[in-house]
Formats: sequence, structure tokens, C-alpha cells
Amino acid sequence: MIKAKGVCLKYPDGTPALNNINLSVEPGELVYVTGPSGSGKTSLLKLFMGVEYPTEGSLEILGQQIAKVHEKEIRQLRMKLGPVFQEFRLIKGRTVMENVMLGMRFLNASPSRLKEDAGVALTKVGLAHKALSLVENLSWGECQRVAIARAVARKPELILADEPTGNLDKDNALNILELLTSFKDNKTAVVITTHATHLIEGQKDCTLIRVDGGSISRERTGGA
Amino acid sequence: MKHIFCNTGYFFREVRTLFRMNWVSNILTLISTGLIFFLLAMVISGWWISDSVMESVRGEAEMSVYYDERLEDDGVMQLVERIKEIEGVQGAHVISADEAYDRMVDILGKDARVLEYFDDNPFGAFVEVRISLDKVQPIMEVLRRTEGVADIRDNREVLERLHQIAEILSVLGYLIIAAVGISTLVILSHIIRQGIYHNREQIHTLRLLGAPEAFIAFPFLMAGLLLTLLGGGVAAALAAYTLKFIYGQMAGPLPFIPLPPIGAVIQSMATLMLPLSAALGIAGSLFGLMSERRF
Repeated sequence: MIKAKGVCLKYPDGTPALNNINLSVEPGELVYVTGPSGSGKTSLLKLFMGVEYPTEGSLEILGQQIAKVHEKEIRQLRMKLGPVFQEFRLIKGRTVMENVMLGMRFLNASPSRLKEDAGVALTKVGLAHKALSLVENLSWGECQRVAIARAVARKPELILADEPTGNLDKDNALNILELLTSFKDNKTAVVITTHATHLIEGQKDCTLIRVDGGSISRERTGGA
Repeated sequence: MKHIFCNTGYFFREVRTLFRMNWVSNILTLISTGLIFFLLAMVISGWWISDSVMESVRGEAEMSVYYDERLEDDGVMQLVERIKEIEGVQGAHVISADEAYDRMVDILGKDARVLEYFDDNPFGAFVEVRISLDKVQPIMEVLRRTEGVADIRDNREVLERLHQIAEILSVLGYLIIAAVGISTLVILSHIIRQGIYHNREQIHTLRLLGAPEAFIAFPFLMAGLLLTLLGGGVAAALAAYTLKFIYGQMAGPLPFIPLPPIGAVIQSMATLMLPLSAALGIAGSLFGLMSERRF
């Protein structure tokens, strides 16, 4: 699913963000990317989403090379991803249902199918009763759930969540992590970045990637 | 393209949201495009009307040929027959002095009282010659050489002046069409750019979710199209009302001007304005979208 070999990322002003990253993520894998603020977690996820391109090395996501020359193909690759953004990126002035459906509208599904899939996703995140509420009337935790519903309703092969627990209290944060990990299955891998390492202590059957100073270390925890 | 057709309802809702979120700017745009299109509609209608008037006047081009007073009736009839044979002459007949007097009474209307001050009829008989306007010069030359012709009066100067006015209107028409086209493109692309800027976060999110550019751009295209169509419709309605008013005003003091039927002018103007405004709307939106691809 993800294959990175010697990946480096430097921003246009010359600031180094990531240095010689080598990793692979397989289908059905749960990966936590941790590290302090500014360590490069979000940069790594931006690379996985095709928002940034490696300045050195080779990166392949779902079989697609991530490079400027493949911009058009990367747009199509994004349709197979389930991104959950740190700041939610929900569309204001629209209902919860509209926001979830928006992520699927260009995937060539019929309008009735869109509504059905969005409804199922909202039920999974426990927000079916708020389907017709405007997103600006939701709490922080609810917004995060809508963002997750939008990501999973697309039936993605790879879920990429950037700091989904940021600004949430511990209980809500744990609920969100539990919810996200529940979408991992044989075909779908889940990659979650978080600086709150205390939330993932004791997590079983997952991969921990620690990013620090642009480099990574990898650790595999055992099954339950 | 399938996702475009499947999401028609969504696009209309997005357009409504785009209007609602930036309504002051959109109303101002509607007013500006409506006024610009109104100007265009009036110039084009004026152009058509002047062309039609010119055509009518051309068809009724006449010369007055005054003959030697010593000519007897037979001589006058022979002269009329000779005039009819000249190339470019469409018809000729004698207007008696009394008929000339009556015509002037009709033209002067209330002011015809001035003719009562004359002891005798001040008008003489003449031959009225209908001609093709483009043959004025050769006809004049033949008439001057014709025996029995004392004087020739033509309205060439008036016709030439009318022709010049029509040509000026035509050039002005082209200039105004170009100016209106460019202004509409600039205004629309500006409003579309503004719309894109206001919605840059949404556009960026859609791109991150993998939405195709056509899907992202479609609501903006629709908004631009609707704005100009509305502007064109308002302008056409306003121009129709104004034309009716102008026709009403001209019917009294200038009844002799052969204006084309008002219904036909309004129908042609509306038929042109709506597709033209739609085309300019799409072009302006595309221009705005292309210039704001960075969002």
C-alpha cells in the first residue's frame, strides 16, 4: 500500500522536513505515526496524500508513484484514500449529510447510493440523528466524527488521519481512535498521526512509527 | 461527465449557496451586466431601425423634374415617356400645380395657413421620378441633356446624410459590442474570481478528496451563466419598454419616418440578447476560472 525508499522532503524555502524515510505499510495494517509537534508527521501524511512530492527518493501509494509528473494520476489516487484532516475541512453552510456525500459525489455513484452509503457511515460514527444539522452547530468531537464518516463512506483502501485527537479531551480522543481503528480490515489500512503518545500506549497489533527531526524509527507491537 | 449529470441538484444548491454567501456583490454584478446589456440592446436596436429606415428611404428615392412652361400637354407626356426609358428610373408621372399645393398643405399641417397669404398657387407642375438610389448620377446627366427639362431637384444630400448616419451607427455598434463584450468578460471573471477566493477552502478540500476540476468548476460556471442570463433578460425587458416608449414619442411629431414594426425589433433584440449574454457568461466564467487555478 505504501512503499517509501530513501524519501526526503524539503520545502521550497530549503527547510528540510523529512530525511531518508524508508517504510512500507501493508493492507489491513494499523499504523500510528507519533512524534512531537513539528517533527514531520503532517509532512509525512501530506506526502501520502500527494499534496507534497518527495524531493528525493521514491514513494509509491496504492501502486501510484508520487511525483510532480504524475499530478493527474495522483488526483485519481486521492479518490481511493480516506483523508481525515486535522482541522476537519468540513464545508460550512451545509448539513452533516451533505458533507459526507460531498466526498463521494464525483465517484460515479447513483444519488440513492450516495445517500445510503452516507447514512451507513453516519450510523457507524454515531451521528445518524444529526444528519440534517449544519456542521457549524456541531461540537469539536462531532465535527471529527463527521470528517471520519466522510472518509469511510468512500470505502477507501487507505485511511489517513492527521491528528484526529487534537483538541479533544481524553475520553473523546480515545473514542475517536477506537472508531478509526474499527475501520481497519483485510483490505483497508489505517494510518493515524498523533502527538499524544499516552493515548496509544498499550495498543496491540499495530505499527508505531516515531518521527523525530525528520527521521523515523519503526516498532511493531504484538497482537492481542 | 457522469458525475456532472448525477449531481445536477447538488450544483443548483451550490449555485444558490454561492449567491447567498456573496449576495451584495452578486446583485451589483447583476445590475452592472444588466445596464451594459441594456446599452448593447439599445445600440443594436438603433442600428437595425436606422438600417430599416435607410432601406425604406432608398426604396422611395425620388427626383422632381420641372419642365419648360411652354410645353403643351402632348409635349409633357412625351417627356414623361422619355424619362421612363432612362436606365435606373422606376417610374414617372406628372404632379399638377394643384396636387403640389395639396401635398404641401398636408406636410405643413397647422402651419399651412401661411399659404393663404399667396394670391396665386406658388407651386408649379413637375414630373415626379422614382429612381434607384445608386443610379442618381447617370440619371441626372441624361436628364440635364433632355430637351424640355428646365430644372431638376433631388434629395440626394438628405439621402447621403442619412446614409452617413447609418454608417456611423454601424461603426459605433461594432465598437459598443466589442466594449460591452470585454466589460462583461472582465466583470464576470472578476466576480467568479471573487467567488473562487471566498470558497478557496472548499475548493482545496475538494481537491484533496480527489474531485475532478470540472466537478469543482461547474457550480462557478453555472453561477456566471445564470448571472449574465438574468442580466441579459433584465436588459431585454428594459430595452423593450424603452423602445416602445420611443416609438410612442415618435409616432406623434415624426409620423413620416418609416420605422420597422416594434414587435419584430423587440423579438429580434431578445433573440440576440439571451444567447449572447449566455455565451458571454460562459466565456467570463471560464476566463475567471482559468485565472484562479492556484486555489
